[in-house]
Amino acid sequence: MTALTLDVFQQISEFEWEISPDFREDMRVPVRVFASKALLLESLGDKSILQAVNASTLPGLLEAVMVMPDMHQGYGFPIGGVAATDPETGVISPGGIGYDINCGVRLLSTSIKADEAREWLPDLAAMINQFCPSGVGVGSQLHLSKQELAKACVEGARWAKAEGYATDHDLNHTEDNGRLEGADPEKVSDRAMSRGQSQLGTLGAGNHFIEVDVIAKIFDDEAARIMGLREGNLVVQIHTGSRGFGHQICTDYVRRLQGAIQKYGIVLPDKQLVCAPIKSPEGQDYLGAMRCGANYAFLNRQLLTHKLRQAFESALAGKVKDWHLTQVYDIAHNIGKFESHLVDGEQRRVCIHRKGATRAFGPGSAGLPEDYADIGQPVLVPGSMGTASWVLTGTETSMQRSFGSSCHGAGRVMSRSEAKRGIWGEDLFKRLKKQGIEIRAGSMAGLAEEAPEAYKDVDQVVESVVGAGIASKVARLHPLVVIKG
Amino acid sequence: MSLNGYEELEHIADLALKVWGEDFETLLRQAAFGFYHLMGAEIGSGPDTEEVFTIPQGSRESILVDFLNELLFMVEDAQMIFHDFVFERSERALTVRAFGCKSVALERTIKAVTFHELEIEQVGNRLEARITFDV
Repeated sequence: MTALTLDVFQQISEFEWEISPDFREDMRVPVRVFASKALLLESLGDKSILQAVNASTLPGLLEAVMVMPDMHQGYGFPIGGVAATDPETGVISPGGIGYDINCGVRLLSTSIKADEAREWLPDLAAMINQFCPSGVGVGSQLHLSKQELAKACVEGARWAKAEGYATDHDLNHTEDNGRLEGADPEKVSDRAMSRGQSQLGTLGAGNHFIEVDVIAKIFDDEAARIMGLREGNLVVQIHTGSRGFGHQICTDYVRRLQGAIQKYGIVLPDKQLVCAPIKSPEGQDYLGAMRCGANYAFLNRQLLTHKLRQAFESALAGKVKDWHLTQVYDIAHNIGKFESHLVDGEQRRVCIHRKGATRAFGPGSAGLPEDYADIGQPVLVPGSMGTASWVLTGTETSMQRSFGSSCHGAGRVMSRSEAKRGIWGEDLFKRLKKQGIEIRAGSMAGLAEEAPEAYKDVDQVVESVVGAGIASKVARLHPLVVIKG
Repeated sequence: MSLNGYEELEHIADLALKVWGEDFETLLRQAAFGFYHLMGAEIGSGPDTEEVFTIPQGSRESILVDFLNELLFMVEDAQMIFHDFVFERSERALTVRAFGCKSVALERTIKAVTFHELEIEQVGNRLEARITFDV
């Protein structure tokens, strides 16, 4: 195989590049990368492009394997990868979705002016920390039985509505209304159920967070108005997923499907790309279980939203005019599902895998809430604690070029051990405090691992997707309060 | 380099370990100790408990992943950390007797043990493996 250098890419436009399937004998489709030249060159420093080439060998792939500019090396698939397979002849791959099934981001708007709330931000940080369970080993406050959990992971965020933890507006402003059809708890192991019972409604640790931001700049007045975003106002982001429930489902099926690749004669360049034909019993079982994981994650973010509302009320009621939180949108960035997309000029139903990539449906797409029909779906791009986050929208170009997908964040550039060697958690804490950012973290070592310098420049990532036309800018956010588990 | 041990490897997004041992059982033990090290797991001082579990026979790589996933589940579900292991092989399974007690501290969550680029190789007089963990 030729070495992976810039020479192997055909430049389609300033922000779009392709590797032809001729590059390696086992490739079935091209690899299409959305990135500036600088980000593409940077990505050649790890194995992310090689992993996209490996992913392009899966049976039944359509059009191309896409890679977003926040790509970084994963296992099997790269983080930032998007792949679509034919429901009749293609495969479903747990590795193309990830262990944290439906890890995603939720954005809540407020009408609170940052200046009005500034003096209360330390109280707000303390209340969020108190109300929202976070950190290693911190468990659920719900204590659901296995039967109740089975019902909850079929119902998704809708379960929270029945229990009084969600509004209709919340559900309507969640990808797929917070519930994937076809979830089958019978396909979920007892182990996954046990991990799920103890962790529902918790944030977790690592790169998961709750962040209160101020809207620093609006780029699209009309889209921002429709989303309820006003310059100078506070918004809140929640980044978490399906916790140990999803991790165990993925672990179980990565193991089980090792046998399926032999059974169906699938040759893989990396065992972690393990997959099964969508129509096979193994593929159908994984889909049923994975949807439970996805629904659990929608519900998890909904339950944290309920706790956040309580925290805002406790910290700000009587101190600001209106402390209510309104859902802007909730999106998944690790998921597999069936969608309709343009393939070779024809609209077709495909099985889409997004791993570290966000759905980015353009204006007029099916499945959007009525108020977003003309502006496209909000795309939420969190930054890295001390840096900006972005609100974008999907475009017509994303529907044509990237299976309605865009980037999901900043993407790591530094290993966790390197970050810990070079950055002292306490120093980082003080530095962020000096910048006016309130931090609550489970551990200083964990904080150092997640330092802003361990990530790519999120602004460059956003310039790449906007330059490629697969997203459009709406608002830039600046962090004020960060809660890390 | 000693005959048995582990070391953390650089990995941009996740965590990786190199583990080595004079035989497969020692490699499994070192992988367990390295795994607990990555988690920042600190074992309590209570009396030892014995847990017995079985791993289905398969390739050495799949046994290693299954073994670590078993330990991961027991840390998450019951906060159990083990300091010693006794292995008994049969035609169908590897039976593991694990000795330890509840953890008193855990610094990090590990989501899963992966098969990514996992290969157990004979290097000189020892077995070596590189294991990637999703965090």
